[in-house]
Amino acid sequence: MSKVIVVTSGKGGVGKTTSAAAVSAGLAMRGHKTCVIDFDVGLRNLDMIMGCERRVVFDFINVIQGDAKLKQALIKDKRIDTLSVLPTSQTRDKDALTKEGVKQVLDELREEFDYIVCDSPAGIERGAHLAMYFADEAIVVTNPEVSSVRDSDRVLGLLNSKTHIAERGDGSAIRAHLLLTRFDNRRSASGEMMSVEDVLDILAIPLLGIIPESQTVLKASNVGMPVVMDDKSAAGKAYTEAVGRLLGEQIEIRMDVGERRGLWQRLMGRTA
Amino acid sequence: MQSQQVQQNPAKRVTTLKPFEIRGRFFTAVAVHLTGPADAAFYQALDTQIGQTPQFFDSAPIVLDLQNAAGFGSSEEMGLLVAQMRSRNLLVFGIQHGTDQQMQAARGAGLIPMSGGKDKPLDRQRPPRAQAETPAQKAPEPASRLITEPVRSGQTIFADRGDLVVVGPVSSGAELIASGNIHVYGTLRGRAMAGVNGDHNARIFCHSLDAELLAIAGLYRTSDDLPADMRKKNVQAYLQDDVLRIEAIG
Repeated sequence: MSKVIVVTSGKGGVGKTTSAAAVSAGLAMRGHKTCVIDFDVGLRNLDMIMGCERRVVFDFINVIQGDAKLKQALIKDKRIDTLSVLPTSQTRDKDALTKEGVKQVLDELREEFDYIVCDSPAGIERGAHLAMYFADEAIVVTNPEVSSVRDSDRVLGLLNSKTHIAERGDGSAIRAHLLLTRFDNRRSASGEMMSVEDVLDILAIPLLGIIPESQTVLKASNVGMPVVMDDKSAAGKAYTEAVGRLLGEQIEIRMDVGERRGLWQRLMGRTA
Repeated sequence: MQSQQVQQNPAKRVTTLKPFEIRGRFFTAVAVHLTGPADAAFYQALDTQIGQTPQFFDSAPIVLDLQNAAGFGSSEEMGLLVAQMRSRNLLVFGIQHGTDQQMQAARGAGLIPMSGGKDKPLDRQRPPRAQAETPAQKAPEPASRLITEPVRSGQTIFADRGDLVVVGPVSSGAELIASGNIHVYGTLRGRAMAGVNGDHNARIFCHSLDAELLAIAGLYRTSDDLPADMRKKNVQAYLQDDVLRIEAIG
């Protein structure tokens, strides 16, 4: 049974595309057949972060409009053979997405892939709505600051009301996970950033992982390599562990501040 | 030149000038059923009727029903009848249920042959109202509303006929609205408006107060006006002499 996972946030610039690339690459590295779709029509970025921007011929919109077959648009990753990328169009806009078209493409992908990761655009309009609409699970990417947390909260409300699963009305809901990105222990400890505890208190969903603010993330994006493939960097390791937790493994959430041991236990209590 | 311009742009002319509008219109006419020829006896009976209820027939629009009436096959005959009736201030304008010949005659006499329509006894008395307000037999729905999920930013929860109970946090940017009391078993960071239909006795209860706004019956306080020592406390808010008071409970 394949799973559709949406990576969403509401706010822009929090690391959705980086996270979508890292999570999909992480899933594929474990041998799961994975496809990552760029829903940010008009602001095509995922292909660059995945390092396949020169290989884009047909895109998601071409497939939706019937101008190309899905097989023609899918780009197989050269490093991980279980990973494929479905890039989006840079010249069109979100209006080119239709609910029926998205459903058709996802249904077709479900037949071939174990995991389909949807990289949502920022905002809560058409592109973001359709990215989350058919999802089974959601990864809500949040930075430890108030505006990002509030936007994530809004998105969680939409996940619980404006999606295919929610509209069935049988009480089932999308499983939402929190991925806290660009986290800086020192700044959080000094009160410049919100603490993990505060964010979890407001959002009230299980924590999938904490990705430290790291130079390697930007570097990896620039060379078109998902950061999860850099097993030396702290961010890469954090993503690898987050993928493990997404698959149901019990991995302790690591934070480098020793004296906050009490907090670890609390976090583990939430993820269990 | 000018008329040409107007012709080139007829759509604009219609939208700007609007010489007429077309609307549907229903109105009531009085149907007079004729049962025999329009002889002296007929006019006598008619005069008697008018004498009894002069206001009812005064300037009333009238349709002649010819279903049970023979004759009136010529325009002259029809015209005579109409003239007689109009002289009594009965404004005949159409006929119904006539034969083809009668319809033709009516057209000749300047009447409109009507089709369709239904007769209804002209009764000035309205049916008693109590009949419409028979109480519903099914049990009333519970007036209070229970929410067991976190209330997210951007969501509005409205309990229009009673209390609102939320088990879970209420995020900043969320709104709770109730005609009765509001209970939050969790942190209240959003807005809560109780007694919105003007109930001054409504109250707001929450386990941890961090609200953007509290309001009861339209009187409100924003987070800036909330007493600092009540923050994150288990509190209730209520109205006392038109002042929104907040006090710790438990």
